[in-house]
Formats: sequence, structure tokens, C-alpha cells
Amino acid sequence: MEHVEPQRRSFRFRELRGVPLDASTSGAKLPTLQQSKKRGSSLFLSMRLTDNHRIKAFLAPPARQYGAALAVVSLVTVIGYPLQRWVNYQTLALIYLLAEVLLALVVGRGATLLAAVLSAAVWDYVFVPPMYSFHIEDLYDGTMVITYCVVALVAGELTARLRTYQETELRTKLLSESEKLGRTLLNSVSHEFRTPISAIVGAAGNLRAQGELSPAQERFIAEIESAGARLNRIVQSLLSAARIQGGQLQPRLDWCEARDVINASLRECAELLKGHPVETKIAAGPQLARMDFFLMQQALSNLIANAAIHTPPQTPIEISARLEGKELLVQVADRGPGLPAPELEHVFDVFHRLPNSKPGGVGLGLAIVKGFVEVQGGRVSATNGANGGALFTIWMPAPDNPELPEETS
Amino acid sequence: MNNVTNAVSTPDLSALVIDDEPQIQRLLSTVLEANHYRVTTASSGQEGLSTSARQRHDLIILDLGLPDITGLAVLKRLREWTQAPVVVLTVQDSEPDKIEALDAGADDYVTKPFSSGELLARLRAAVRRADRGKAEEPVLKFGNITVNLTARLVTRENQAVRLTSTEYALLRLFVQHVGKVLTHRQVLREVWGPEHEQKTQYLRVYVQRLRDKLEPNPDSPVFFLTESGIGYRFSAS
Repeated sequence: MEHVEPQRRSFRFRELRGVPLDASTSGAKLPTLQQSKKRGSSLFLSMRLTDNHRIKAFLAPPARQYGAALAVVSLVTVIGYPLQRWVNYQTLALIYLLAEVLLALVVGRGATLLAAVLSAAVWDYVFVPPMYSFHIEDLYDGTMVITYCVVALVAGELTARLRTYQETELRTKLLSESEKLGRTLLNSVSHEFRTPISAIVGAAGNLRAQGELSPAQERFIAEIESAGARLNRIVQSLLSAARIQGGQLQPRLDWCEARDVINASLRECAELLKGHPVETKIAAGPQLARMDFFLMQQALSNLIANAAIHTPPQTPIEISARLEGKELLVQVADRGPGLPAPELEHVFDVFHRLPNSKPGGVGLGLAIVKGFVEVQGGRVSATNGANGGALFTIWMPAPDNPELPEETS
Repeated sequence: MNNVTNAVSTPDLSALVIDDEPQIQRLLSTVLEANHYRVTTASSGQEGLSTSARQRHDLIILDLGLPDITGLAVLKRLREWTQAPVVVLTVQDSEPDKIEALDAGADDYVTKPFSSGELLARLRAAVRRADRGKAEEPVLKFGNITVNLTARLVTRENQAVRLTSTEYALLRLFVQHVGKVLTHRQVLREVWGPEHEQKTQYLRVYVQRLRDKLEPNPDSPVFFLTESGIGYRFSAS
């Protein structure tokens, strides 16, 4: 997962304003550098802050480049014509070459090539005797023309390569800067939200500890606490969604036991699961797969919370895990109304909510499940179970049994 | 959590709070003072370090995200001169930070937002462990399990439980650190040796074996608890 910058907190919001990042953040259009489309599903919050100007400024549009090539060749020809009186045509070739190299510094490959061919032709036609013909009289002039062509082409090509290299460097640098900035921003946002939420939840708890409260006061404190918890969940969802979208998720894959992940998720959802009988069915023996524990726990918690919220009270929820072939299956089945067939394809879409779903929630939970599972190399599906009710399945790759130490005793 | 003010705690323990957020500082000071801690606050890593160097504290609460130097750097420096228990404050999504902090000598962590009850319980446990120090109790009991460290004997409902030597080494490590989070790395290093530090799969399999042999319900453990993505915590209650 993400590696936290050592100095991340020196980048607080208030300090970010003056930093010369303004130029990049203001150029809101960020199309060309989408680097990690494959990672995660496409979510909504773009945290990509890339300076496109700086890259584009490298090259003018093609029409202007070719125009510049024509202009340079014409200019050298016009200047060279009266110069013939003092300098010979071989020297003029050097002047053409100089112009060609300078041109190659500012235009692309195509225009450089055009200038090279054109200048060779014009030089041969206008200056090499016999003048005003492409005819070449002796071996000496022939060698000159061929050498000129080769040198012009090579100079153009080398300059173009150099520029491509510089461009790649700059792109990489900007990309990593923008990723780092995105990560720093997310960490700041996370911290800025969590601090006041901690203060609210903590202070409410202290209020309760003062004792001697009227029932109304008790109720208000409970309201503050549950609102704080809900706010915290929303912040968590938004940050998760932003991390998926920004390609900021770096899963730390390690061997995890399905039982541990399920227990951690159940503990996390304990409050929501009140009033729902929960049954877990885990196949015998180790159920190991390489996963990121935290991402997996969040994904499963979201599925469990989804089942708990959208099914009638007292209906059971079943969680199961088993290895099947080279995959670990983790399933959450409920006995609610199930999913209408046309919705099955869309339940994992961002902000998608079923037509009759309860108020509250922003429609990110299942999108995060998909994002978190896919970034670990797994997949997820939604169907209706045999007993009615929705059935969500997560498949995680479980390539081979892990190597275990030999032991005698 | 309902009786925070009445909770029994050793009177007059001194606590150092290193956190740059005034709100969190005020909150922690209020909670701690109500529970008879003498509280000193520091708003930056540097200030925390100099305060800690000047006077001794029984307990340090350290926010991992500080404006000047990282909490982790502060922790490493602190450990050069004090063995006082350090509980770090972190936010969710920062598992690598938590692991690094625990490996660098933090005693426990609390994730924001936290309840005062949870925080106080963690603090009390950390202080208790520090007091007990290295003095080893030869016989430990949890639930219906007894572990006799001198006789290398484990019983469940007075019936001897057969453990392999690795299982026993793992169990001994857990019972010697009751209530403390042990990172995967710490356990692997201790039981299997430093060259196996990365082999979490060993741990997953062996912890499950201990659960199968010792837990009332192995699939929902009460003794050998998983700390999501970080390690394990052995709970004797």
C-alpha cells in the first residue's frame, strides 16, 4: 500500500497554496497522462495533478513545424544567392547544414526530414554547377551532395532522439511528482478530516463519562456518537474511492487466512449486524491466499454492511470461504429481496443505487469492493442465490500451496 | 467506557502527549487528568524529544503524523534513552506506519477516531506490562488452559495438550506478551529466526493450529486475536 512520505505533514493544505504547484493544478484538463487505467475501476475523484503545458510547450503544431522548415530553407536560399559572389557553393552547403541543425532543435522528425531533403535539392539546383539544374558534373560534387544529405538526416535524427529522451524524462518526473502530490494530498485530507471527527467522538464519550445524565442527554450523546461514526465511514469511503481512482493503491500482498479476514470484517460490522443471525462456513484446513489483508477486510466489510443494511431485520446472512482450484472463494449471501436482473451488471458502478434502496449511503460501497478486489488481482460478481437473496462472490488467486517448514516432534 | 472517571488507575502517573493538533491535545489532557495522570504536552517532535530528555515520564502518547519530524523518527530517538511505554496515535489506512512503529519499539497503537475508554484501556495495559518487566511468571492461565513454562506443560481442562516444539515456542511467545500487539516480523524472527521474517504463511498455519488445539471455537478466536494486516495480539481474558 502506500508508502508515506517522510515529510508528508509539512504539506498541509494551508502551506500548499503558495507552492509553485498552482500552475499545474490550474490546468484542469489532464487527459494524456492517464497511466494506470487498468488498475481499479474508473471512479470519480480525479487527484491527478499534471502539468500538461510544460510537455506540450516542447513542440508547435505540425503545420507550423513544416512551415518553419520551408521558411528556413527559403531564407537560407535568399541570403545565400547574393553571397555567391564571395563564398563558394561548398561553404553554402555548410550554412544550409547549420540552419538544418538549428531547425532540428525546435521541430519534430518529419519537418527536419523535409528540410533536409528540400535544402539538398535547392542547393543542388541553385548553387551546384551547372546552376539551375539537378545535373551533377563530377564525382566531387556528387560526393558533396550525398554527404550533405546523410549529415543533414543524421543531425536531424539525433536531435529528434535527444528530444524524445528529454520528453520521456520530463513525463516520468511530472508523473511521479503528481503521484507523490496526490498521495500527500490524500494523507493530508485524511488527517484533516480525522482530527475533528476524533475530537467530536472523543468529547461525546467524555460527556457520557461525567455521569448523572438525563435520558434526553443520553440520547443526544448517542446521536453525536453515531453521527460521528457515520461521518467517519463516509470519509473512509471517499478516500478509498479517491485512492482507487488516483491509481494510488499499492496492495501489499501476503499470505492471509480467510478466517482471519472474515473475523476482522465481522468485528468491524458488529454494530450493523445486530439483529441479523450470521452463519460462517469455512472449509476445513488452511484457506490461504496472497492478499492485502486491509483491502480484503474493507472489501468484505462493505459486502457484509451492504447485506446488513439492505435486507429486512432478522434475516440471516451467510459468509463462506473455500479454496476451489487455484482460487479462494469468499461469498456473502443474504435472504433479502435479491437483485433485480437488470441491476446485476450495474451494482458495482460508482454512485449506482438500486431504485428502491434505503436513504443514506452514497453508492460507493460496492464500487470500492470491486476496486479493492481487482487491484489485488481478484474479481467479484453479484448474482441471486438459490434461496433468493443476493449472493456476492469474491475470487482471489491462490496459485499454489505455500511452502511450509518441515517439523518433527 | 461508561465509567471512565471511576476507572481504577495508579495515581500520579506522568504522561507526555506529543501531538500538534490543539484539539486532540485538549481532549487527551482532559481525559488523562480526569484519570489521575499528570499531563505534559508537546506540539512538535522536537519539543517532545527535549521535554522527554529533561524529565522522566511513565507513559508517552505519540501522534505519528507530526509537522516537523516524523513520529517514527521521534520514536527511534526516544528509544535511545527511555523504555517508558509509548502508545502511538494513527489514522486508518496507515498500516505500514503502524507496523514500522511497533517494530521500532512502540508498545501499542490507537486508531483515530478512538473512544476514551479504548485509549485508557490500552494505556493501562501498556503501563502494567512495563511494570511487570521481565519478571516471568512460571504458570499462566487463560480460560481453561494452563501453561507451565518451567515444566513445558500445556493443559486444557486438566488434560495435557500435545504441541510440537514450534507450536510451543509460538505459544510461549504469545503468553509472555499478554495484551501486546506482536507484528508478523517480530513473531517470525523470534520463533523461526531472522531469515524467515517474510514467511507470513508459517504464521498463518501455526496460529491456526494453536487455535484448533486451544480455542473454544477455533473459527472465532478469543485468545489468539488477529490484528488486521499487522500481526497478532494474545488476549488472556
